[in-house]
Amino acid sequence: MKYSVLVIVVLLIAAAFIAGCSQPASTQQTPAASQDVVRVGVIASLTGPASNVGTNMWQSAQVAAEKINAEGGVTLQDGKKAQITLIVGDDESTQAGGQKAATKLITDDKVDILVGGYSSAVTSAYEQTIAEYKVPYIVTGASSPIITHRTDIDTSYIFHHCPTTDTYGQYTTQFIDQVVRPAVNQKAGASSDRPFRLALLYQDTAFGKGIQTAVNDTITKNKLNIVLVSQQSFRMGESDFRTQLTAIKAEKPDALYLGAFPNEGAPAITQARRDIGLNTIFLSAENNDNAQFYKDVGQYGEGAIIESRFSPYTAPAGAVAADQDVFKQAYFARFGTYPDMMGASTYDGVFIAVKAIGNAGTTDKAAVRQALVDLKMPQVIEAMKDGTISFSSDYRESGFDLWMEQLSPDAQSGETRPAIVWPDNLKTTGFVLPSWYVAGSSS
Amino acid sequence: MDEFSIFLQIIFWGLYAGCIYILLATGLNLIFGVMKVVNFAHGEFLMIGAYITATVFFLTGFNPFVILLLSMVVLVGIGAVVERLCFRPILGTGKLNEIFLSIGLIYIFQNGAAMIWGDAWQSVKSPYESMTVPIGPLSVPLDYIIIMVVTAAILCGLFLFLKKTTIGMQMRATSQNRKGAMLVGIDVERIDVISFGLGCALAAAAGTLWVVSGQVFNPYMGSIPAVKAFAIIILGGLGSIPGAIIGGLLMGLAENGAAFLLGGIWKDAVSFIILIVVLIIRPTGLFGGKEG
Repeated sequence: MKYSVLVIVVLLIAAAFIAGCSQPASTQQTPAASQDVVRVGVIASLTGPASNVGTNMWQSAQVAAEKINAEGGVTLQDGKKAQITLIVGDDESTQAGGQKAATKLITDDKVDILVGGYSSAVTSAYEQTIAEYKVPYIVTGASSPIITHRTDIDTSYIFHHCPTTDTYGQYTTQFIDQVVRPAVNQKAGASSDRPFRLALLYQDTAFGKGIQTAVNDTITKNKLNIVLVSQQSFRMGESDFRTQLTAIKAEKPDALYLGAFPNEGAPAITQARRDIGLNTIFLSAENNDNAQFYKDVGQYGEGAIIESRFSPYTAPAGAVAADQDVFKQAYFARFGTYPDMMGASTYDGVFIAVKAIGNAGTTDKAAVRQALVDLKMPQVIEAMKDGTISFSSDYRESGFDLWMEQLSPDAQSGETRPAIVWPDNLKTTGFVLPSWYVAGSSS
Repeated sequence: MDEFSIFLQIIFWGLYAGCIYILLATGLNLIFGVMKVVNFAHGEFLMIGAYITATVFFLTGFNPFVILLLSMVVLVGIGAVVERLCFRPILGTGKLNEIFLSIGLIYIFQNGAAMIWGDAWQSVKSPYESMTVPIGPLSVPLDYIIIMVVTAAILCGLFLFLKKTTIGMQMRATSQNRKGAMLVGIDVERIDVISFGLGCALAAAAGTLWVVSGQVFNPYMGSIPAVKAFAIIILGGLGSIPGAIIGGLLMGLAENGAAFLLGGIWKDAVSFIILIVVLIIRPTGLFGGKEG
């Protein structure tokens, strides 16, 4: 019996050890032989369901820091140069983990500025801590507008460098109206005033509901000729969508917009095409534009549309293409995989943090906050409105130039690959309806 | 698609979901029936089964329905080790110990899997994914027919094992009266190991079928199915294998019916509403005895 109890104790200790191995609460990346350092905290989901994205964010921050330090670091007052040190806090993909990570980074690690944050639910859970300690925080992953719109706490130290679900919904709905609707009407041999039949399948969270609201609002405000024939929701983390898709197919939609994470979007498209025979156009939000999504959705992704701002496999025509490629190659050389868009905005976020500290000439948090308010810097690797990164005066949100990609089969990978089809100033090819596409019908 | 076809389609998806639930809940009930232990880590055996099938599939390209057998055999071994090292020492020391031990095992298996296979969601492509079978007005993918046939075959095999073999009869005897079984000379500790291993193998089968049906998986996938498996065995009656089968089917059909009629957010809730209603009317579950 004593032996058995000993075995159990050893197992429990092993569990704690294993958990510890995969859940680094705080890891530092320290530049060599530096005396003056700026401490940048990165909050990312290194463990838990969002760890894929979180790891990408943390690794992208490291690539940014290495580039900045290699170029001399940040210039403070009296021309003094300082290297930057990154310290990561793992939010464990949970609200409690986020609270713990933010508190530790601020009180123990005494960071000068924070970057990161994925999942609006997790990020909003520790915004109170940010407000309390008044640490400038550049949120680069959470997409709900509530991050800076909420009024129950002081969000004045929080800056949002990530398009919100409002923006996703607006861009995608406008794209449907301007590009998909005419193409479908032409294919169906219908008159140009035939209403477009759009279905929604969205995650039952702030993220999914945000997209649903944005689509509804965009249609109403702009009086678009789009009718929402089905609006189905699902629980976060769901992997079986067959019943909702059956209900959607019964409404004969012209297209289906998915407000889903990649681990939901890929099986939803696969099940729709394979199991339900729903041969329509699938539109997804930008967080689906990552390598794992392309792998999971395989050939079933043909013809699908992803709203995006950074892709592992394509870049827009114009200025940021070369910079994006440099980042992708540096990331690949370091980690053997390609970054995703949350990584890209976190990469941007570290540059923004350094620029604000440089402009302030100090790490004093109030001064850095003011520098962020006044910030006007050239876009880094993501296409921004007017090529400039600045934060809006009302909700401190930066303005992105988003685009729509269409996926087509790629013989070499056996998967699909994207090409930008909208808007005109960024597109590299035109939108086409796949040969198997079946237009919806109200009959 | 007419209304009757839609109705049949929803029933079909309910039956498919029910197959996964039946295998998971039957394994859990087998363990509970014999050992009377509460194992919240049962969903982690589903997850490990899924990963073993996926890993062998990625490495060899073998048919995942064949790999299912290997996955079940491996899980028999893992289950036997877990029973011997973890559950046997605390058997009879109170439910609290069992609960905390199984919670500890959840962390061990989840983090262990994350270390070995990583945290990312993964998926497997079935070799039959492009094949469909016409059933009445429906055209359903061949994979789901195979999943239903495999589930039925496993349950028939289990039924024959429990009814016709000496070990099966000893398991039933231990399940009915542990002390009585000991008095007639049955090595109940050996039966515990076999039951636990078999229960884990059924979870591995559920995990494999989950993977083959095109659902994504990661190290944390087992938690919700495990909770549902508990709801099923309470619904069907603790320790009752027929109860687990009927409960699993009911759960699958109810979830999909609710998702269609009320919306996806009711998918999980409806199962527990049924559970509460059944427990109010019949506290021992549908097939439970007087003592549950």
